[in-house]
Amino acid sequence: METQEHPYGKAVATLIEEFGHLPGIGRKSAERLANHILSCTLAEANALADAIRNVKTSVKRCSMCFNLTEDTLCRICRDPRRDQHVVCVVEQPKDVVALESSGAFSGLYHVLGGRIAPLEGVGPEDLTIHQLVHRIRKQGITELVMATNPTLEGDGTALYITNLLQNDKVRITRLARGIASGSVLEFANREMLADALRGRQQF
Amino acid sequence: MSLEKADALVIRQADFSESSRVVTFFSREFGKFAALAKGAKRLKGPFDAALDLLSTCRVVFIRKSSGTLNLLTEARLTQRFTPQNSGTPGSLNSVYGGYYVAELLNGLTEDFDPAPEVFDLSVATLNSLSAVDSQFPSIIIHFQISLLQLIGLLPNLFECSVCGESVDQNGGYAHWVSQGGLLCLACRREEYSGASISAGSIEVLRRMTQGSSELISRVKLSRQQAEECQKLAVSAITQAMGRRPSTLRYIQF
Repeated sequence: METQEHPYGKAVATLIEEFGHLPGIGRKSAERLANHILSCTLAEANALADAIRNVKTSVKRCSMCFNLTEDTLCRICRDPRRDQHVVCVVEQPKDVVALESSGAFSGLYHVLGGRIAPLEGVGPEDLTIHQLVHRIRKQGITELVMATNPTLEGDGTALYITNLLQNDKVRITRLARGIASGSVLEFANREMLADALRGRQQF
Repeated sequence: MSLEKADALVIRQADFSESSRVVTFFSREFGKFAALAKGAKRLKGPFDAALDLLSTCRVVFIRKSSGTLNLLTEARLTQRFTPQNSGTPGSLNSVYGGYYVAELLNGLTEDFDPAPEVFDLSVATLNSLSAVDSQFPSIIIHFQISLLQLIGLLPNLFECSVCGESVDQNGGYAHWVSQGGLLCLACRREEYSGASISAGSIEVLRRMTQGSSELISRVKLSRQQAEECQKLAVSAITQAMGRRPSTLRYIQF
């Protein structure tokens, strides 16, 4: 974008350009957001700017699980009521949010920071796998719940970690996959049904 | 702009937006092409979890003529890649073998250059990687050699590139990488010859170009044969791609 030639002037053009870098924001949406900033009060604009600045300066990775936190340890790692011997392994902090919203897990988490994707140049050394292994051996973890995405790369990452820990006394489980509760078999796709049949349990 | 249908293998995915992806396919009908899959990450949508890496699916897409990204409108899963002996240490090698197939397809083929034999070879190789008790080195060497043959870059495995003498069953040879051929001991020069290869391994490679993936996947090679054949195949592929495939460092022979 040629910032000099923009009809609103250089400052607005820069703002539009910056908004345009956000995910899911195209040029039209960026202009709409910039117009909103122009029309709001200085206090509101400053509050937004401060919020962005604060999040970048105060949020860091939890020293134990690599989730996002403003302290050394995240809220979940600090909570003594959580099961300290069960760790759920996820790819990204947003996966922790999704799993926490289910309310069905009371253990701790470990955020890998991605998945092993050789085609994208992401190897095991780019993730927090080494720290996970160290944590399991040091903290007496008894169960590891693999909650990486149910894709080839997610499964491959879970498999890599499982291989690393094959001589350790830790129970490794994988999230179940199959038909969603409340859905209808008739409309479930072939893969869902196959997964559900493979992972059937004693009733 | 036209609506096209194809049987395709997913060889690469890249996030485009919060829920959309750019998916690179290798199809039987059109060769390699990339398409934007809007809403690909959503559970409910027209793609029905068919766009996982190395999945084979039946796709419908709008082919754009102006060089802009094609648009995927439908994808139905035909077959998902399930690594060999899933859950055992060997299955990780099988996963990486699958990634290697995808990397070579992406690196050694051109957009919209149909090659149905390459598509069939790739699907057969993935099936072999999924099969129980198949021989991993044989599968990978066969895929590399057959792919090189199909794209016209297989080294000449029948005679010395300098003197023209046929390969002697008792002789030793070297791979002349830049010329895509072999050098006999008499013609070998250190400055332009690559790794050594025995006549026995050359014979293995020649037979591999004639056998099917399913048949070859059951052939057990000696360690020396596997190493020599792999070195030759990787050198030829590195020469063709202009770089060493990155997935190779994960594969254990």
